[in-house]
Amino acid sequence: MAQKAKPIELDVAVVNGVTLTASANRMFEPRVISEYDLSALDAVTAIDGAQSLGYCYQCGKCTAVCPVDTAGGDYSPRKVFRRTQLGIDLLDSPDLWLCTTCSNCLRVCPKEVNMISIMPAVREQAVADGRAPQELLTAFENTARYGNPLGEPARKRADWIRRAEVPVPIMSQLKAPVDVLWFVECYPAYHPRGKDASVALARVLHALGVDFGILGSEEKCSGDSQRMAGEAGLFEMLAEHNIKVLSKYAFNTVMVTDPHAFNAFRHEYPKHGGDWTTLHYTQYLVPRIAQMELIHPINRRVTFHDPCYLGRHNGEYDAPRELLQAIPGLELVEMGRCRENSYCCGGGGGGMWMDGFTSEHVGMRLSERRVQEALEWGAEVLAVTCPYEVSRFEDAVKSTGNAGLLQVVDIAELLAQSMGLVEARV
Amino acid sequence: MSLSERVMVIGAGPAGLEAARGVADLDRQVLLVESKGQLGGTPYEHYATLTPHLRETGDVMRAMLDGINSHPLVDVRLETRVVASEGEAGHFRVTLENADGQRTEEEVGAVIVATGFSHFDPGRETQMYGYYEYDDVVTLVDAEHMMQNGRMVRPSTGEPPERVAFIQCVGSRDRQIGNTYCSKVCCGIASKQSIEIKRMLPNAKIFIFYIDMRMYGFWEDQIYWKAQEEHKVNYVRGIVTEIIKKGDKLLIKGEDTTMGRPMEVTMDLVILSVGMEPSRGTLQMGQIFGLPREPHGFLATVGEPLDTVSTPVAGVFVAGAAAGPKDIEDSVSMGGMAAAKAVGLLNRLARALV
Repeated sequence: MAQKAKPIELDVAVVNGVTLTASANRMFEPRVISEYDLSALDAVTAIDGAQSLGYCYQCGKCTAVCPVDTAGGDYSPRKVFRRTQLGIDLLDSPDLWLCTTCSNCLRVCPKEVNMISIMPAVREQAVADGRAPQELLTAFENTARYGNPLGEPARKRADWIRRAEVPVPIMSQLKAPVDVLWFVECYPAYHPRGKDASVALARVLHALGVDFGILGSEEKCSGDSQRMAGEAGLFEMLAEHNIKVLSKYAFNTVMVTDPHAFNAFRHEYPKHGGDWTTLHYTQYLVPRIAQMELIHPINRRVTFHDPCYLGRHNGEYDAPRELLQAIPGLELVEMGRCRENSYCCGGGGGGMWMDGFTSEHVGMRLSERRVQEALEWGAEVLAVTCPYEVSRFEDAVKSTGNAGLLQVVDIAELLAQSMGLVEARV
Repeated sequence: MSLSERVMVIGAGPAGLEAARGVADLDRQVLLVESKGQLGGTPYEHYATLTPHLRETGDVMRAMLDGINSHPLVDVRLETRVVASEGEAGHFRVTLENADGQRTEEEVGAVIVATGFSHFDPGRETQMYGYYEYDDVVTLVDAEHMMQNGRMVRPSTGEPPERVAFIQCVGSRDRQIGNTYCSKVCCGIASKQSIEIKRMLPNAKIFIFYIDMRMYGFWEDQIYWKAQEEHKVNYVRGIVTEIIKKGDKLLIKGEDTTMGRPMEVTMDLVILSVGMEPSRGTLQMGQIFGLPREPHGFLATVGEPLDTVSTPVAGVFVAGAAAGPKDIEDSVSMGGMAAAKAVGLLNRLARALV
């Protein structure tokens, strides 16, 4: 459980010459049992970006929608404010690392207490002091050294294209302009299940005759989750690198697979000089539904998990659903928490790299809670469109004892299956 | 018997002043009776600044006072009390008594009672706040007096306080005390005072202990959010139950309800947010004019919510906190309405005579 301020107890008090121990003496010897030491709150709200933590008026709306609290963590922005007001140093508290920056609290907060701004700002100071979970520091180190948090070799970043069996041009070799620059991102390039989705998407693009190219080993992590986890310096290095590489090439549109990269390209890269029209791949594909030969029915009850960084952070809820509904035979069922109120997989804000730490402070994984919800709504397939999610939800299906009852697939895989471009997975 | 066209206004606080101005501006003579030696009422006498804009009371109210003092149709009687009344609408004969005990009789056609409220006496509080035991436990009014003097200090030492606690709902919302109503303005005034204290003492730590924060309308962001966000005032839900001396500090005890745990913290200065009760003058006017009191003890009105100023006695109107807890906006609004109703009544009576 998360840290709570403990009442201060005098072990021993001497009352009229009589020695009394522990809480029994409180009735005889009036004393302070809680300090309301405001220095902790003052220190946090003095950090640029974290001022709004002091705005909380304790309504508790955030607690009801906080996925960490829902999954059995004693955590919510309201509680973070109160603990800090009571003198607990947020920089030393597990609370600092539990937020997945899913932004559901900000959606409902009447005072605009902005955890999306507070968390990275305060974490940045903790990271600078070396006070961060080791798992997270390892992911930062891997990103700095290899350009990806998985610690995979940079030169293998485009190895997945051999499995694509369709041409996937790499810009440095192509030496020609393309219409679409596909920013693949780390998990789609390296993770086995991420690569499955990349292969599927490459084949869909090829079948549509899209003129596209990727950066291959020149690409590095977009860095958005590292930024939210407190590594602003690393993010800036990555942003500058990617912007420099992209600026060498001619293209019309950036297409991203990862909603976190989408967020970086939409909101952060323009501040660093990289301002391109950027679409998530689902947004790119929707106007091309008519050209897709979706001939093989998928007769399954499918539910869709809105990625926090595509939905709440960037307002796109419809494109993934339009693609799913274009697949013949597919029955789309919505979970209770969907769209604006969608639940979080637990991977955002650095959560992807802190599963060990999180498990010590939260009753269950956020992904496990979500998988159970999908099953409650009778889904046979959980469709996703964020590369963090396939692995997280597949693990959660197994760990909750539901192996075989729910399949987790990327929307690109479902489209490719319906087009007959990949082997049927569902 | 001829109709008296004059209106008597009793009490010269914001409600009475606005009522007098309204009647006079409608071209009727006003007899303005005030028991104190100056115009302006409770805010002018006791409050350094007004809520919500924190402007100095004198600056804000001066034009109002000058307008009354210079109005040819307003006859101001300071240090004067109403001691008796007989007659009816259009024909009241009232007896006034001045500071020297001299009595005069006056004829008026209508009466507006604007005799206001008094602050709750914390000695009657059932919680153990020790207002009369501890120098450093004061009321909102005591704090305003310190602000009027430009010196915010702990009365026990004369030094500025480092930690200040406001305790809300003192004398309000309490069945045992007999005041089951909310006094409406104390949340705003405590927040206003906390901003003023932070302006005077930027390093002071300020806490407001509350049951519910009652910041209706614009006060929500004009005072409450401003105090919290710009002046870092700490709002803690949970009321203090007792105050105990701890060395030269005060140990306040209560429950921190949002954390569900006991709270015992030391403070340098505790300010009790005392509520409103009907003033002695209000109770006396009720007796003299035969005005019934509503269940909370203030003067009853008829026709609420559409008519806030008519009493069950024809020709007698009430304005401001004599009718219940009111802020200044409420009070002046009622003053204006009472003026219109009183003059309207006299016009109707005059037409009936023709």
